[in-house]
Amino acid sequence: MSEEKFIFLIEVVAVLIVAVWISIASSLIYRKRRLKVLKYIEETFADIVSRYLYNDIQNPLTLIEIQRTLRKAGIKSHKKANIQYLINLMIRTQRTILGTNHKKLKMLYAQIPPYRVSISKITGFGWYRKAQGIREIYEMDQSQYRHNILRFRNHRNVYVRREAQIALVVFLGWESLRFLPYLKREISLWQQIKIVEKLYDLYPTPELPWLKKAYKTDKLFGKQLLMRGIRKYKLQAEVNFIIENLNHPNYEVRETAIYCIQTFVISDEWMVEVKEIFSILPDATQQMQLLKYIFNNSEIDLDFYLKHLYANNDDLKLKIAEILWNNGYKEKVQEFYYQQYAKINPYVE
Amino acid sequence: MWNSVEGFFSSNYVYWAANYFFFIYGAFLMIFYFTGVILANIAIKKNKLKSSFLQVSDIVSATDIPSVTLVAPAFNEGLTIIENVKSLLSIQYPYYEFILVNDGSTDDSLEKLIKEFDLEKKDATFIIQPITTATVKYIYKSRNKKYTHLTVIDKNNGGRADALNAGINFTTTELVICTDADCIIEQNALLKMVRPYLEEQEKEIIACGGGIGIANDSIIKNGILKELRLPENLVPLIQVVEYIRAFLLGRMAWGEINGLMLVSGAFGMYPRKRVIEVGGFDAKTVGEDLELCIRLRTHMENLKVPYKVVYLPETLCWTEGPPDHNILIKQRDRWARGLWETMSIHKKLFLNPKYRFMGILFYPYWLFFEFGAPIIEFLGLICIIAFSFLGWINWHSAILLFTLVYLIGCLFSTAAIFMYVKNFDHYNKPKQIVELLLAAYLEPFLYHPVLLYGQMKGYYKKLFGIKSGWGVMTRKGFKVSDT
Repeated sequence: MSEEKFIFLIEVVAVLIVAVWISIASSLIYRKRRLKVLKYIEETFADIVSRYLYNDIQNPLTLIEIQRTLRKAGIKSHKKANIQYLINLMIRTQRTILGTNHKKLKMLYAQIPPYRVSISKITGFGWYRKAQGIREIYEMDQSQYRHNILRFRNHRNVYVRREAQIALVVFLGWESLRFLPYLKREISLWQQIKIVEKLYDLYPTPELPWLKKAYKTDKLFGKQLLMRGIRKYKLQAEVNFIIENLNHPNYEVRETAIYCIQTFVISDEWMVEVKEIFSILPDATQQMQLLKYIFNNSEIDLDFYLKHLYANNDDLKLKIAEILWNNGYKEKVQEFYYQQYAKINPYVE
Repeated sequence: MWNSVEGFFSSNYVYWAANYFFFIYGAFLMIFYFTGVILANIAIKKNKLKSSFLQVSDIVSATDIPSVTLVAPAFNEGLTIIENVKSLLSIQYPYYEFILVNDGSTDDSLEKLIKEFDLEKKDATFIIQPITTATVKYIYKSRNKKYTHLTVIDKNNGGRADALNAGINFTTTELVICTDADCIIEQNALLKMVRPYLEEQEKEIIACGGGIGIANDSIIKNGILKELRLPENLVPLIQVVEYIRAFLLGRMAWGEINGLMLVSGAFGMYPRKRVIEVGGFDAKTVGEDLELCIRLRTHMENLKVPYKVVYLPETLCWTEGPPDHNILIKQRDRWARGLWETMSIHKKLFLNPKYRFMGILFYPYWLFFEFGAPIIEFLGLICIIAFSFLGWINWHSAILLFTLVYLIGCLFSTAAIFMYVKNFDHYNKPKQIVELLLAAYLEPFLYHPVLLYGQMKGYYKKLFGIKSGWGVMTRKGFKVSDT
């Protein structure tokens, strides 16, 4: 390569470095200025909300005044980042307010500059905007748009369909179980957790008919979701659904069932069934987890423990030996160990 | 073709072969780095967007999230053990257990722990050990209700990997985080780390790592990083840049194409089930973190289960970097040996289509550009010396080439600093950024040669079978604030 070419390349790289320096400097300056703007919007919003929620009769805050003040703070249609920040502030605020003020805040949301901004997002392109729009709609309880959201519940993008499914829970409550256990695509662990949490927060009284109907689902995630619901609502009468799934062929479903059963104290009859399931569980780690549950929730059943003390899994034997040792059956453990030694032929042929 | 050895050397063949070899190697490396910058940028943006749909506050309020155990081995850390344990105990997570493994310390670590946390000795006869480790002597649990989530395992010395395995054996939670007792972990780090496990639905997450930062000379209060400062000495200061580049560009880029082969030992999360299945950390290698990650990947490839290794761009764990050249050499010597051992253990992966991209791309990359880089660099130095003696070097062009390569290196470092400043708030003062940039530009002269020496020393030891363990890493300790 000629020296001229080297020099040219050096110049190019040097220019690029300078460009990155400029980017660093601009990023610092932008961040500093942006923080100032955001702080101003936040202060303005806090002032408006407090005056709006606790309106002074002598000096009432009008909608025009609110709009004017917000515009002055930079909430203008072409400043999308500012509008987004205001929406985030509203969502954050409504989460901390209850009762009449909560309703008033939602009304305010429909009347101030981000008019229809959330619904316009879900009709636009891009998964992020769609998911964001759906979230804003359900967070601000804009139930008039629920039919627009329903169609996204099986969307190909995980975030869009996730938010749409949460919206279903928010707007339909227990009735959402008409759809959720039958979705076309898998739902993640987090999604299951969030659905159950949201349902519990907004609809604390269980509506069992919807739950019972949903038991028919053959979707694995659907079964997991229902078990988590039973656990969260502590539905003792529905615990048989969890027990039935303790020996489900799928590992994850069994895992969820073992996790959920821990919340419940079950009857002796059910415990007999759990012990039977324990004996046929195909995974040793899960057997260990279930053993812990059996031990913590039933009287010492010597026959049951002895049967498994002489079974094949070493870890299980050790755990059972510990249980027996610490619960007054030391001689049974000693007997077991002596028998082990007896099996070893002391003579070398 | 050549009549004698002299004839061979006096021909231009060696000169051109060497030139082309180094040029092609360098060109490939540049291509990888440039692709890395682009991929890392995409990954960071994606991560930012996705994380807005699963915020830490949502996770903290959920009642159904997986439980996590943090396992930290400690060996002769009596001076700082109480502060470190308090720091690790204060991590926010609803279902959190902490296991400290005292790996046969000969100092007063255990006595201090017993006294401070009111520990009570428990029988270790019935503990289940799916992974074989050095003998566990006792298990300690606190009588104080404040510390019910603390367990101390006292065992015979077996090294870091062995201590981690002992801790993993004792865990009952779904997820295990392995760290070091002297690391400062961000309060919400676990909440961020579980995010990929909660969100992923098509692939199984087999390992998750978070960014690691250098916190020499920073202020620590009650085990929490109170004020992040840039190190006063040049060696750790350059490491700040090195870590930013490695974690933000390297790891994020590989993570984007699911090509991560390493989750740092200082802070890595794994599902307990999978770690037990593969037999835990390999206590025979000093590169146990890299080795475990590759073994986990190989295991999943064999099982034909879709999997993912993920990295979070945020710095979640702060550690003290080697404060001077001597300790740095020891550290890099150990890393080089660990790399050598791991590459050797998993040599069957090399260009093996059975392991798909891992065999065809990821492992060869590690072999040629991570393991091979110091060797190539060393050979390059020898060639420069030899060729200059033979008068084969056009010094004017060589200096221009050196300047070009140096500037390209500076460009990558500057880009990494820019991405860090743009996305994170840790270093936001102009003075700090200028210092970081200067450190990056001095790195090739004042830091890199030392690094190369450390790496070559490690390879030399492996080549000639010189036995060497972890070595003593003397630390200065963080600045602790009482106010």
